Amino acid sequence: MTSTAHSKSLIGRERRGDVCVLTINRPDRRNALTPDMLHDLRREITTTDGRALLLRGEGRVFCSGFDLSLCHQSADGSVMRSLLQGLSDCITALRDLPVPVVIAAHGGAIAGGCALLGGCDFSVTDATAQLGYPVVRLGISPAVSAPFLKNALTFGHARERLLDSGLISGLEAKRIGLASECCATPEEVFHRSLAITEMLASKPPSAMAVTRRWLRELDGLDQPVTREQALDVSLSRTGTAEEATRLASLFAKLA
Amino acid sequence: MNDLATLDISGPIARLTLNRPDARNALSIDLLAELHAKVDELATPSDAIVLVVTGAGKSFCAGMDLRAVMNDPSAPAALLSSLAEFTIKLRHLPLLTVARVNGAAIGGGCGLACVCDFAITHSDSKMGFPEVDLGVCPAVVAPWLVRRIGAARARHVLLSGGLMTGQHAFELGMVTQVVPAVNELDAAVDALAKRLSSGGPNALRATKTLLNSLDGSDNAEIVRRGAQLSAAVLATPEARERLAANLAR
Repeated sequence: MTSTAHSKSLIGRERRGDVCVLTINRPDRRNALTPDMLHDLRREITTTDGRALLLRGEGRVFCSGFDLSLCHQSADGSVMRSLLQGLSDCITALRDLPVPVVIAAHGGAIAGGCALLGGCDFSVTDATAQLGYPVVRLGISPAVSAPFLKNALTFGHARERLLDSGLISGLEAKRIGLASECCATPEEVFHRSLAITEMLASKPPSAMAVTRRWLRELDGLDQPVTREQALDVSLSRTGTAEEATRLASLFAKLA
Repeated sequence: MNDLATLDISGPIARLTLNRPDARNALSIDLLAELHAKVDELATPSDAIVLVVTGAGKSFCAGMDLRAVMNDPSAPAALLSSLAEFTIKLRHLPLLTVARVNGAAIGGGCGLACVCDFAITHSDSKMGFPEVDLGVCPAVVAPWLVRRIGAARARHVLLSGGLMTGQHAFELGMVTQVVPAVNELDAAVDALAKRLSSGGPNALRATKTLLNSLDGSDNAEIVRRGAQLSAAVLATPEARERLAANLAR
């Protein structure tokens, strides 16, 4: 196994045989994403080597979403805009890769963390993990995830998940198609994800790349208008009084 | 020489049989040509309301005839184009179609099951799309699978390759009904065909036409492009080496 340390980056990268493993490495903050982390994540995705990519999170949860404390400090909404753009860029980068992508979503994939699932081919979670988009109650629109959810789920389930800020369990996520597999415990998620990634890495690379590109075209998500429209809706809610008031109220409660 | 495909019409129920059991009903140019001819007969008005599609012998359809693909450089494009046109034709028939998946339904064969409005199999049948394992891209059948089970599940199935049981295919939504054993298949198919044929023919046709336009089935071009894409991949050294190794086994 070869490993490359990126000491200053909160995005780790290592090679396990034919598999490239990227790790969101900010466990003390439940892997909450900052603009810099999304920038680094996108760079690591676009320079992925190996025949399949596995994305995971260090610590107890895969990713708890954006680091909202940064948004709270930026009254004009610029940090939120930067986060949304960075997230959209990462999802697009994952989808543009010629190699298959697996996400190990143990413990929790919340808001922006859940949105990352939109870039993968397979996602593995666990029965007690929490998944969903609890952002409308903060005055933030999860629209950036709508095109992916519309395809992965039925229209009815997509509507429910985007409009209801409640979280669902890994079992329920598997049932509605938000996750492709559900392990009994969080400890099993990485090993199961690695097994799937290694299986995918063993397939003929050209056939996999062509088939993945064809599926991407068939699901209609690559129309720039779809992606940009969705992102625009999310961006349109940034810097609003509704968002500011609700974020301030959240941080007042946490203080 | 026996017909490679047979069509029997009995009142409101027609039955189209792939009749090449010694080759597990693998799709050759000749078999596809006969399937086209038989289905063309159904495009003219008749009393038939339901078409049951099935395979003679133990298999439903083992997919493309790989030996022909290996021996004739012009075969892949012609074969894939014919398969693409046949799936488009089958989807737009003014009859409800039921795939009676009596046994192995592999690659293009599994695609035929996905094109039909309904598909019934038994829990031990073998179904799936092992194309990527052979270095091939299942591009013709992919649009139909996406319409059948959704983009996310189609991604899992097509990128994983391999085969699955009929029971698993049912759980994924690839077939609409599964019976425990093969000897229970005919009763289930007959009951479904009878129930379907009791509907008003015009209402059924109008509803099917609407569903085809809602789910993108009217986009024939994407299926034709899939045939070109598959043929291009089949011509690559990766695919040819893997196919040769597979045929040598």
